[in-house]
Amino acid sequence: MAAVLGVSAYYHDAAAALVIDGRLVAAQQEERLSRVKNDASLPRHAIDACLRMGGIEGRALDRVVFYENPYRKLERVLVSSLGAFPRGARFFARALRSQLGEKLWVLDALASHCGVDRRKVDFVDHHRSHAASALWCAPFGDAAALTVDGVGEEDTTAIWRQGTSGPERVASLGHPHSLGLFYAAITAYLGFAVNEGEYKVMGLAAYGTPRFVSEMETLLQRLEDGSFRLNARAFRDHLDLERAFGPRFEALLGPARDPRTPWDLEGDDVRYADVAASAQLALEEAMLSLSAETHRRTGAANLCLAGGVALNCCANARVLAEGDFARVFVQPAAGDAGGALGAALLGAQQCGDTPRIERFVADLGVEADAARAQEVAVHLGLVVERVDPVERAADELAEGKVVAWVRGRAEWGPRALGHRSLLARADDVGIRDELNRRIKGREPFRPFAPAVLSDRAPSLLEDAPSDMTPFMAAVCRVREGAALAGATHVDGTARAQTVGLDDSLAPLLKAVAQRGMDGLLNTSLNAAGEPLVARVTDALDFFVRRKPDVLYVEDVRITRP
Amino acid sequence: MSRLTTLKDLLWHFVKQRRFFFVPLLLVLLLAGALLLVTTGLGYVAPFVYTLF
Repeated sequence: MAAVLGVSAYYHDAAAALVIDGRLVAAQQEERLSRVKNDASLPRHAIDACLRMGGIEGRALDRVVFYENPYRKLERVLVSSLGAFPRGARFFARALRSQLGEKLWVLDALASHCGVDRRKVDFVDHHRSHAASALWCAPFGDAAALTVDGVGEEDTTAIWRQGTSGPERVASLGHPHSLGLFYAAITAYLGFAVNEGEYKVMGLAAYGTPRFVSEMETLLQRLEDGSFRLNARAFRDHLDLERAFGPRFEALLGPARDPRTPWDLEGDDVRYADVAASAQLALEEAMLSLSAETHRRTGAANLCLAGGVALNCCANARVLAEGDFARVFVQPAAGDAGGALGAALLGAQQCGDTPRIERFVADLGVEADAARAQEVAVHLGLVVERVDPVERAADELAEGKVVAWVRGRAEWGPRALGHRSLLARADDVGIRDELNRRIKGREPFRPFAPAVLSDRAPSLLEDAPSDMTPFMAAVCRVREGAALAGATHVDGTARAQTVGLDDSLAPLLKAVAQRGMDGLLNTSLNAAGEPLVARVTDALDFFVRRKPDVLYVEDVRITRP
Repeated sequence: MSRLTTLKDLLWHFVKQRRFFFVPLLLVLLLAGALLLVTTGLGYVAPFVYTLF
């Protein structure tokens, strides 16, 4: 019977998760409340929000668990920086300042913020946190976990089986051989921000042809035992993570893209789309090899994927379709934020509780406060009325309007799943383009996702529903005849969300189905470069600035005068 | 007091890992950090700190 707070921070995607008596009570990413994209700072807002949602005070916590070992992390940074001396001298100084100035003292900062005795604050290993967050939240037993990310303390990739006392490590691969760092270097090469633009590379890949396969094999060599090696001389993440590729990388693939130039996918940028397609293919092949090795070593029937690379929904789909496992699950916050969840679950188990998550749901964040939304909207001079939101919104969606939809608790993880969403007709390509250009302000190649009822999914999408589709963790091929053109990517796939009949978005999907629609375009309630909305005040701010046609907060309908 | 726990855990970690050569490096850096912290705002100390770095 323990209250345990798990925390991730100081790399990217800081977050907090609260487990009480083995049950997951709340999970919140810091960026959603601080409004700083990928906020890595100590998640004070998220911690406070989780404690409020759990109805307890910080000093009542039995344990606070950080998601990685700060001492091993410092050791790895020191060793790799010294290994790169003298070229890495500047990085060494910067890394030391960051590690000794703030990161090393994270456990003390957590004790101080929560008001708990320092002896109650502990840590678990980075990849073990990832594995726990996946294995304990999966909808099946008899599972192995494959954790793949940039780098934890030292590990970049690990295979796990579920033991009696939590995840047991079967095998691991260490820095610098990392699929996350490989993809980060490609992301930087294509002119996107590392730790933020990786999903843009995935979207861009669909526009290209994988004609740089041999170059990718030079960078990322797959080995017979299912693992891989990076050609370390082509990468320079140990010198500068923001520009993780070196001169050899550019000698192989040509000059890096200038991020300041606008995209022209029928001109100069074709080569970059081809690089993205080649890198995506290399990543998928590496994930398939790792998945095969995981099956060989564990013999498990099912697989859980975790770590930042598990956010690559194209690779996940191939692991399910072509791999040896019957079922594949990805916890929606598979990146570092999810480490907070794993740390909390591991802490609960160390306190003697059995983590119990019968059916994992993603609405674990702050609640939508309709009364507050009404009060602020009136203050802003907006038109407010109480309505039946489902029928009224369904009519407006059928008319081609863009609806901002805020309901219940905010989503955990990067995807909007019908709690903080922008919704529109999924069969209208014109609306998609308007959303990208006018409301979201994103690159033209960025796709949108459809939300469909799970009982209709098999007739609309291949390989759906699966254990990943409720969280938009895998792409599916859109069947011919499905009226989802506005939410279908250029390669005929969609990162679809399947919505169970008892989920909160289901009534709206049923209502639009009665109006002849197969599903809805569902995208996150934010503009380019902003975190997803969580609080109703941020939803109103978005509504006023970006001007979707109407905003619903529960049953409060808000429009402009 | 809680930072002393962290320092103790850190040093124990490096000893356990037999990374003895890091211990003096870390101690010097932490002492330098503490020196900077203590001397913040003391204008007459600044020239001496400046020459150290």
